[in-house]
Amino acid sequence: MIRLVGAELLKLVTTRLLLWLGLLIVALEVLVISLHVSQDSLASLAEARNQRDTVSIAAVSALISLILGIVSSAGEYAHGTISHTFLVSPVRERVVAAKLVAAGLAGAALGFFSAAFAWAFAALLLSARSVTLHLGSAGVVRVLLGTVAAAAITGALGVGFGALVRRQTAAVVVALVWLLVGEPLLSIAGIEGFAPGHAVASVVEAGEQGSNLLGFWEGLAVVCGYVAAFGAVGTLAVTRSDVS
Amino acid sequence: MAEAPPVDVRGLTKHFGSTVAVDDLTFSIRRGRITGFLGPNGAGKSTTLRALLGLVRPSSGDARVEGSPYSELGNPLGTVGAVLEAHSFHPGRSGRNHLRVLATAAGLPVARVDEVLSEVELTRAARRRTGTYSLGMRQRLSVAGALLGRPGLLVLDEPANGLDPEGIRWLRDFLRSFAAAGGTVLVSSHVLPEVAQIADEVVIIHRGRLVAQEPLAVLTARSAGSTVVRSPEAERLRERLTGEGIEAAPAGDGELRAAAPPERVGEVAAAAGIVLHELRAEGASLEEVFLELTTEEPA
Repeated sequence: MIRLVGAELLKLVTTRLLLWLGLLIVALEVLVISLHVSQDSLASLAEARNQRDTVSIAAVSALISLILGIVSSAGEYAHGTISHTFLVSPVRERVVAAKLVAAGLAGAALGFFSAAFAWAFAALLLSARSVTLHLGSAGVVRVLLGTVAAAAITGALGVGFGALVRRQTAAVVVALVWLLVGEPLLSIAGIEGFAPGHAVASVVEAGEQGSNLLGFWEGLAVVCGYVAAFGAVGTLAVTRSDVS
Repeated sequence: MAEAPPVDVRGLTKHFGSTVAVDDLTFSIRRGRITGFLGPNGAGKSTTLRALLGLVRPSSGDARVEGSPYSELGNPLGTVGAVLEAHSFHPGRSGRNHLRVLATAAGLPVARVDEVLSEVELTRAARRRTGTYSLGMRQRLSVAGALLGRPGLLVLDEPANGLDPEGIRWLRDFLRSFAAAGGTVLVSSHVLPEVAQIADEVVIIHRGRLVAQEPLAVLTARSAGSTVVRSPEAERLRERLTGEGIEAAPAGDGELRAAAPPERVGEVAAAAGIVLHELRAEGASLEEVFLELTTEEPA
């Protein structure tokens, strides 16, 4: 099992996928933090709460990590490398399990990178505007740790979902449409808190923001439920389908 | 108990929806031989091989490697090496890294990766991304992956497809030397001559069913001795040939097709003083036997 996790991690680091996803995170953070720090008033920027919101863009890595997970499983079907994978390891449940672990680890790494870059970049820009830094506040630490946890979880979530769909582009598109359209529609009924996207957000926000979010622990439990459910259904789909 | 054959397919049937890809197929192959697995495109060859390798679940029947279903092999890479379609690499990953991934999953040392790369003469391109590889290079990378675990059995699905003559020769030489060293090979093709040069035995399928399994020599013998002869006295020649016990049938335009070698047909004509305008052995005869076997509607 450790060998399979090692192989899955090696797959992730031997293409340019992580590089591109990392660059995407950097680009988004540079854009959002620059806009925020350059346009907000000095008085607002000096508030600890405001600085926490500034670095919370790091949580975008949870979305990027979801894509990483989807590519890790569905992408193998897209490139046909899944044949090689199953030839080495014909017990497919083990392959999916290894992918869940590997994408969780890689997702955590992406989340950590994202948090570190957002923190450093925010510190740089805020200092440039001579604002007193509150980047060591409990709120900031909590949102950055929440980001790492969320990105790890969404990596695994993406693996399960990708295994279920087994079509890379379709899986990414469906996931994005769900997050951008599906969950906002649920909010009309007021039940969005339990939806995957909102549950992940509640892990990041740690109950600090938005009455429509679950608390940290409830959110974490719900999200882990989704990982288990998609992992199980995805495994079932992968073991029952033919590879041709 | 007798030793299990390296590949043993029993009553294998596979439906895709309402299509029957493989229909109650049974055959086995012998150790230390090269077996050609032949049939037209769509005959069910790939499905059979994928079922053998655990990638496709049979609807009924089973396919075993060294006596076990593929999924129950303790050391799959050390038991059978598979070469499937040549496009299944991540274009952004280098050939060497592709093999490192396989080696890691199989618990093989990285040193083995470099060994197989040099075995297939791919060392120089090993660190390039596979997206830049030619088809021949991708095929050799496939072969390298199949060799990683030092298996005694190789299964190849249409390995010559799209290869240039040089690539085909390389592959042929490689399979010959693999078999000469005691290895067993099962290689599929839809083109008989590709396989005829190296196979000891052939398994021919059509529409998912077994059509023939025999040594190549037997298949060759089936096609031997057919002669086409053209004569202004075709009808009289036909009578003479029939009188000599040689089957002969009009083949149009003053031609006859006789079931005997050209020498024999020439002798009969000379003895009867019949003028011949043309006398030739039937060309591409193996190919014709193959086509005949695979175009007949199964009863």
